[in-house]
Amino acid sequence: MTDKCGVAAVAEAESVDDLLDSVTDDGLAGYNYAYLDEHTKREVRRATLSAIALPGHQVPFASREMPLARGWGTGGIQTSLSLLGPDDTFKVIDQGSDESVNAANIRRLAARTANVETTTDATEASVIQTRHRIPEEVLDDDQILVLQVPITDPLRRVDGSDDANRRRHAHSNYSKMWVALYENVVEYGEIKLSSRYPVLVGDRYLMDPSPIPRWDVPKLDDADNLFLFAAGREARIYAVPPHTEVEPLAFEDRQFQVERFPEHACGNCGSEDTFLTEVETDDGGRVYACNDASFCEKRRADPSLSKAHHRNGDGHTWGPPTDPSVPYESDGDSGENRGPAGPNRGGDE
Amino acid sequence: MGYVAVEAGEDVIQRAEELFEKQRVVGESDQISVEQVGEQFSRLTAQAMSEGGLYAPRLAAIAVKQAQGDTAEAAFLLRAYRSTLERWGTSVPVETAEVFTTRRVSPAYKDVPGGQVLGATKDYTQRLLDFELIDDDGTDPTGDWDVEAEDPPRLRNVMEVLREDGLVYDPERDPDRDDDASSGAGTEPFDATREPITFPAPRSAVLQELARGETGAVTALGYSELRGYGQVHPTLGEVRTGDLPVTIEHPYTGDEVEVTTAAVTETECVVPIYEKSDDPQFSFGYGLVFGRNERKTIGMSILDAAIQLDGEGAAQDAEFVLDVVDGIDSFGFIEHLKLPHYVTFQSILDRIRSIRERSAAAADETDPAPQEVGADD
Repeated sequence: MTDKCGVAAVAEAESVDDLLDSVTDDGLAGYNYAYLDEHTKREVRRATLSAIALPGHQVPFASREMPLARGWGTGGIQTSLSLLGPDDTFKVIDQGSDESVNAANIRRLAARTANVETTTDATEASVIQTRHRIPEEVLDDDQILVLQVPITDPLRRVDGSDDANRRRHAHSNYSKMWVALYENVVEYGEIKLSSRYPVLVGDRYLMDPSPIPRWDVPKLDDADNLFLFAAGREARIYAVPPHTEVEPLAFEDRQFQVERFPEHACGNCGSEDTFLTEVETDDGGRVYACNDASFCEKRRADPSLSKAHHRNGDGHTWGPPTDPSVPYESDGDSGENRGPAGPNRGGDE
Repeated sequence: MGYVAVEAGEDVIQRAEELFEKQRVVGESDQISVEQVGEQFSRLTAQAMSEGGLYAPRLAAIAVKQAQGDTAEAAFLLRAYRSTLERWGTSVPVETAEVFTTRRVSPAYKDVPGGQVLGATKDYTQRLLDFELIDDDGTDPTGDWDVEAEDPPRLRNVMEVLREDGLVYDPERDPDRDDDASSGAGTEPFDATREPITFPAPRSAVLQELARGETGAVTALGYSELRGYGQVHPTLGEVRTGDLPVTIEHPYTGDEVEVTTAAVTETECVVPIYEKSDDPQFSFGYGLVFGRNERKTIGMSILDAAIQLDGEGAAQDAEFVLDVVDGIDSFGFIEHLKLPHYVTFQSILDRIRSIRERSAAAADETDPAPQEVGADD
């Protein structure tokens, strides 16, 4: 994650033209390395550092127009490109899939302009850009997950004005959000928020974790890796650094609930501890299958593969079980909530 | 394993691009040249430059051709290109009275210094579809005019008349305004492409975002004020089009030199809503856009005035207007809904099923035989 910085070349150059000629740039001819100019990358990195220093706080940055449409991952790609160097390995996921055309397009841009290796294997990537999923395989402390963010502020659900919401964040005044959740309980008996579930970061800032499913929310808590959240259209970057406490909002008598599925196992690999999506088949049937396509592939080859298989016997795993009869709660009390016990769960059949 | 899939994804993208390109060339007519787009569809290229925030007529013509006439897409191409360009310098501020005026109408006064200059306009044309254009031979209808060619005039701005009488409130010179510190006369204007906007935004940021706004959005939001969702019903001091000189400081001599001109449309308006009751003055709205686009610049002047009022109307809320007026933002996010949403939708399905199960269970408890009740109804 470093730029090629030819300090020696600067000292030896006799003229500006010499210097320009001596620049050996990986990537796309006619464009700077990793597309963005160095000033922009520096600015994005500064915003990123500020975001890491204030977990959950939204840091404004001067988002550039990218050759991708706004709302299609422009914040994520600016963040990724400002981090990537020639030695990095880059993975892009869109709603769990590396094969989605938008993921392929973003990966193609990074490969062309930053000359990075790309992979679909979450354990091989140093930087992973993702739209709305956290991989099933546990991320390590040398990995960065860049999440694309459409709507930066959880308070937008209760007030459209960022001006007003910035004031609320400054005062930790989240009463309007609590009231909205309470009204949910009164009206529907439970909290009806699906994805984009509001979380409290480090007991200070209310944060929109991007539209990841509630399934992925517990993975944010006390993780080994760095999570970066980037919104190009809304020009904000925020972060959850490693080992930060992240707690979904809930009431004592209305616990935070992850998604439940009418069937408990993936139709392709049999996993019972992965986020499933339902697929309507041509013959009118409905099957459930792993959403994380790359991990599903591995599980098909080796059904007993643990989510932490790459971490040398480390039992640290994440994500809830699929079977609702297996108890799983997350009330922010980390440590005991690493999912169901046993390193090999989920792959027994 | 995944490598094959990656290749497949990129192959699909490539083919989709090729199908799109085919739509442009599949017809039997000759390919339209970039010069033809620039000369014959100047309104399209002007709109692309204005919304793209880049004055570059030839690049705009390429963008319009590449986008097959979609102005939002063309503006987007220009912006994406613009953001890769190095900045070599900043032009010297110029009075718009310096514009070489090709058209200037003042609705406020019957006669004005320099006169009304109608110029080229379709405003008073009967909108009858012209079937003769099918066999257009390109004859210049002004070819046999018997007039002396003269340089376009530089005209004094009509608003100066009102300013000299002290009738116009000047937002730039009011020391009481919060945003004055960051946008006051003599200081560098805000640049929203280099700094993120937070609210309250300085007026220079508001004007920049309005000038880059989507033409339809600026027109619609401006119209909302006239339509009754606000109070701004302005009188236009003038609407003018012309070529604005672009002046820079010479890098060696430091002298100011005119390097080029940019075609612009400008509107200034006054609104009879008084900023101060003890010293009644007109509120003032300003609009300036690249190219010929009078409805956008009039809409912009209404929105500038409305935002300064900061009242209850939708278009008077700077945050609302600036959040929705940008075409690149709105078009991107509206169209992102085409992307896969099956993870988020699964999450939504889980909630609605859970709530329905809960309410069904509750109904069963309170009423053990709901079928019979239903039959009685």
